[in-house]
Amino acid sequence: MSLRDTAIVAYAETKVMKKSDRDVWVLMGEILEALLDKTGFESKEIDGLVMSGLTGTGGASMFWAQSTCDMLGLEVGFCEQVHTGGCSAAGAVARAAAAIDAGMCEVAVCMFADTHVREHNGRNDRNYRRDWTDPYGLLGPPGAFGLLQRAYDAKYGVDLQALGKLAVTQRNHAIMNENACEELRVPITVEDYLNSRMIADPIRLLDCVMLADGAAGLILTSKKRAKEKGLHKSVIPIGYAERTNFLGGEGLVDVTRSGHEIAAKKALAAAGWNIKDVRSFHPYDDFLIALVIQFEAFGFCKPGEGMAFVRDTDLSYDGTLPMNTGGGQISAGQAACSSHNLIEAVRQLMGEGGKRQVKDTTNALVTGIGWINYGRNWGSSAALALVPNQ
Amino acid sequence: MAVTLNDTLGVKRGDIKHYDFGMPFWEATRQKKLVIQYCKTAKKYQHFPRPVSIFTGRRRDIEWREVSGKGKVYSYTIAHRGTPPFQGSEPYAIASVTLDEGVNVIADMIHCKAEDLKVGMRVKPYWHPLDNGEHLLMWQPDKDAK
Repeated sequence: MSLRDTAIVAYAETKVMKKSDRDVWVLMGEILEALLDKTGFESKEIDGLVMSGLTGTGGASMFWAQSTCDMLGLEVGFCEQVHTGGCSAAGAVARAAAAIDAGMCEVAVCMFADTHVREHNGRNDRNYRRDWTDPYGLLGPPGAFGLLQRAYDAKYGVDLQALGKLAVTQRNHAIMNENACEELRVPITVEDYLNSRMIADPIRLLDCVMLADGAAGLILTSKKRAKEKGLHKSVIPIGYAERTNFLGGEGLVDVTRSGHEIAAKKALAAAGWNIKDVRSFHPYDDFLIALVIQFEAFGFCKPGEGMAFVRDTDLSYDGTLPMNTGGGQISAGQAACSSHNLIEAVRQLMGEGGKRQVKDTTNALVTGIGWINYGRNWGSSAALALVPNQ
Repeated sequence: MAVTLNDTLGVKRGDIKHYDFGMPFWEATRQKKLVIQYCKTAKKYQHFPRPVSIFTGRRRDIEWREVSGKGKVYSYTIAHRGTPPFQGSEPYAIASVTLDEGVNVIADMIHCKAEDLKVGMRVKPYWHPLDNGEHLLMWQPDKDAK
């Protein structure tokens, strides 16, 4: 099976920057160099490149992955750009593993690099927005999540103290993460969360991710090749599923439900886990309410019980369910094609979490959320189950 | 906290570009009529307009039906930070409204005080004239609703 036979043998990550002081390809060069140094692979041995399309710097380029091969001197048999928005990072791992399994490549680099603050080259989106939301001044993701959170509140009730707890927990993790955006590495309180200014009521500033620049990468190969290379420390993806346009064939959809209902079930079944087996959770965080909805969709608690689950669960790195131990995107910065939580999970399972190392590295669960569709919650939902190599 | 909402009627929205498969919607707005796509096979409405029925995947299942435009607020958000044409007009309200025919339609909510805006409240259309003769659908409270 493609996933279980593939190993993530190294990760690399730059510090997240409010605005990059160097070109996106320089950041990629740093990631490539770090991945080669860590593994002992030569660049000539890399024959797969999987890029994320979630980039303001490169995403509008039709030739982003190919021109990156050219810039980095990589000759590959598998050249891919993943376009599932914030699911692209986890999706890149699954696609690289599938390509390795299919014999299209043997050593694949997943490259997540974006300097959208320093250099945004447009997105050229073609979708519903120009007709159906732009004329109303609905501000992209914050506006959509404003509608989502209000609907959740009407159905189940929002506990601002619980959302504040999420904000504080993630911020405390970012403070322990030297690679988090420096400007965000300042302590906050629940009061700070409550008092942060409204952006798209009920969405406050501290509900939101902040765009930032940075890069990260992974290198994957078959378990066999990893063994031959003497790369014993690795992380194995053992379950992955994604769902795009959940209930897309329905006219009216409850926005508190998402494709994670399906992706979670499939990924957990592939991994052979019950949700209670998850030892650390690294959910995609663009807005705090998305964390609550994911706790419900993944089955940590029942629908409508997410706020209580947050109140009753210690989500810090040394708690009962460590969550986004690197700070999440909300407190580390939305950089590197939203790969932050994936990279953190790999780091933790390799036992390299430093001061914020989780005690139990039996496994980790990473998720993705991608794109915003009309009047719903999000377009793509992904789940990736990881275990350390035994 | 009392918030005075802006009706955004003074906001210059510019030319709204349409996809050709959605033109019946926009043409109907010239007469301040709301038409919505209806799937003859599924016997359900869909919004926004698509090139096919989202229920069956077939173009031939689509027809356009005029609806009253009455419905109730499914959710709403108050924009305190607007997109560029709306900057300076904040705060303003945007509501996702469930039409009585069973589709959600997102539009600006006007003629409404912040403290009166509630999930579940009844609304009806307000037609805001655009430069090209079309009208932009907005929502306003339906005071006659029971």
